[in-house]
Amino acid sequence: MKLNKDSRKLSRQLFQSSFADGKLDNTRIAAVVESILSAKPRHYLAILKDYHRLIRLEVEKRHAIIESAAALSAETSRAVENDLKSKYGGDLTTDFRVNADLIGGLRIKIGNDVWDGSVRNRLARLSEEINHV
Amino acid sequence: MSTILQELETKIAGLKTATTKSNTGIVREVGDGVAKIEGLSDVMLNEMIEFPNGEYGLALNLEESEVGCILLGDTASVSEGDEVKTTGRLLQVPVGKALLGRVVNTLGEPIDGKGPVKNEVSYPIEKIAPGIIKRRSVSQPVQTGIMAVDAMIPIGRGQRELIIGDRATGKTTIAIDTIISQARLNKVGEESGAKDFRPLYCIYVGIGQKNSNIARSIAILEAAGAMKYTTIVSAPASDSATNQYLAPFAGAAMGEWFMDHGMDALIVYDDLSKHAVAYRQVSLVLKRPSGREAYPGDVFYLHSRLLERSARVNEQAGGGSLTALPIVETQAGDVSAYIPTNVISITDGQIYLETDLFYQGIRPAISVGLSVSRVGSAAQIKAIKQVAGKVKLDLAQFRELAAFAQFGSDLDAKTKAQLDRGGRIVELFKQPQYSPIPVEQQVAVLWAMQNGYLDEVPTDRVKEYQNKLQDYLGTRKEGVLAKIREKKQVDKEVEEELKAAVNDFKTTFR
Repeated sequence: MKLNKDSRKLSRQLFQSSFADGKLDNTRIAAVVESILSAKPRHYLAILKDYHRLIRLEVEKRHAIIESAAALSAETSRAVENDLKSKYGGDLTTDFRVNADLIGGLRIKIGNDVWDGSVRNRLARLSEEINHV
Repeated sequence: MSTILQELETKIAGLKTATTKSNTGIVREVGDGVAKIEGLSDVMLNEMIEFPNGEYGLALNLEESEVGCILLGDTASVSEGDEVKTTGRLLQVPVGKALLGRVVNTLGEPIDGKGPVKNEVSYPIEKIAPGIIKRRSVSQPVQTGIMAVDAMIPIGRGQRELIIGDRATGKTTIAIDTIISQARLNKVGEESGAKDFRPLYCIYVGIGQKNSNIARSIAILEAAGAMKYTTIVSAPASDSATNQYLAPFAGAAMGEWFMDHGMDALIVYDDLSKHAVAYRQVSLVLKRPSGREAYPGDVFYLHSRLLERSARVNEQAGGGSLTALPIVETQAGDVSAYIPTNVISITDGQIYLETDLFYQGIRPAISVGLSVSRVGSAAQIKAIKQVAGKVKLDLAQFRELAAFAQFGSDLDAKTKAQLDRGGRIVELFKQPQYSPIPVEQQVAVLWAMQNGYLDEVPTDRVKEYQNKLQDYLGTRKEGVLAKIREKKQVDKEVEEELKAAVNDFKTTFR
């Protein structure tokens, strides 16, 4: 859905007002959505979609997806989580997933950054370097 | 055997396979050769983006939460939801002498079926032009072999000379002739073994051309033996707008390698009007604001940054040069359109080709009044200056008088002489395509004209006289031509020999 300049500006303003102490605030988000739905301004659906996108991108910045080839033990998961929280702050949320394609190792994605220590990635890099040699 | 194993182990040990950090994004929209990517928070402008399946893109629009990216390869394999990552690299193309004799695409990949290009170096396609400290003035000529150009609109090494005109007026022909002329000079220079000889390597960039036209140009260059010194960068009309937009920059990078290594190169951009159209398409699809004729606001900067990369650098910087011959196609002779005026203002002069002259049989159809070289006689050898100093003025006066003389038949003797002289100069400057004339031959013919030897020849036989004189000098008086070539001037001795040779020839010409 194409968003015009004014609607984009409004959704951005709503997004900026959804923070409390530099963090997204659930109560404020709920209040913003409520007010939009009740006032129904012009292009309100597009505004809400853009607002949702901005919130999603912000949430992703504080969310870590940890992938491994086999399920991690509770102890390892806790250690990884603690390490990440010590680096990125206590409000970081985590999501552990199993991806057999990785063959081994871990792949951690936080926001746009990906740390890939999986065997799959290492093999891919190795084959790339051998091709260059 | 153990040595091989040890070597292999060392190689494997040297390979880095540690955990990698990359910045990623997700493709949200893809179409018309452009992808909108969400994420990529650390991406740089013009950075290469890696898509799945080994395809690459170029980040052109950095927005708040999205990146506009042009796709370089097969766009069909990219789909919504694909994860992409930054590479930290700028787009690079292979450069070096390995590219001579090859036909490559925008990315420097060979398309001539002659196997891979064995290059050792790559250059980024976007590079800042040499600054003022590195530059020196243009003083060495590029012998185009086209008498009208060499005599009246000289081109120097490091100059940017625009070739402008309507469709089918011979713009590409002038460029191809120049390349052929360079190849001949390179061959003669290499055979002579002269130490101070500087070959001029050529790069022809075909942008938005028909494949058949590019194939024809290649065939002509091959037939003339010029491919040995030439690289062709082809981004035909069937290529994506992205490839057409990037092709001249890729060609410039290839030319810069020669300049950086103290050599001379010539690059032809054929043509920049189609290049501007391709860039307009890319910009509109990227939703950049459009300006005059829907071109984006930075279309001037697009061409100025490209043409500024042509330069002649000083001895400290290697002493190399990159000469540019951009071509611009006008519509109905309108040189005041947007792109022509832009490129005219950037370049150091223009060769303007007129449709009327072309159909009158005056080929190359160079309009003397509108053509100019801002470098001027600094880019001519002394011999040409001596014999062609007044030709442009004579020809301009002839055109004015010819227009005036149409209204009356009674002309005074002086005007009639000027008209006769002008008519003969016009005949002299007619030249068939793909047959450049060596500079010493040009000097000899122009000397004969300046000294009135052609005044006795009927205008319709001037061309025949010229051809026979050239043959005569080339076969029977090679000595005087060699002297002009070596001395690069017409001194007393050369003049005496020329006088004797032309008088000799006069007795045989009937």
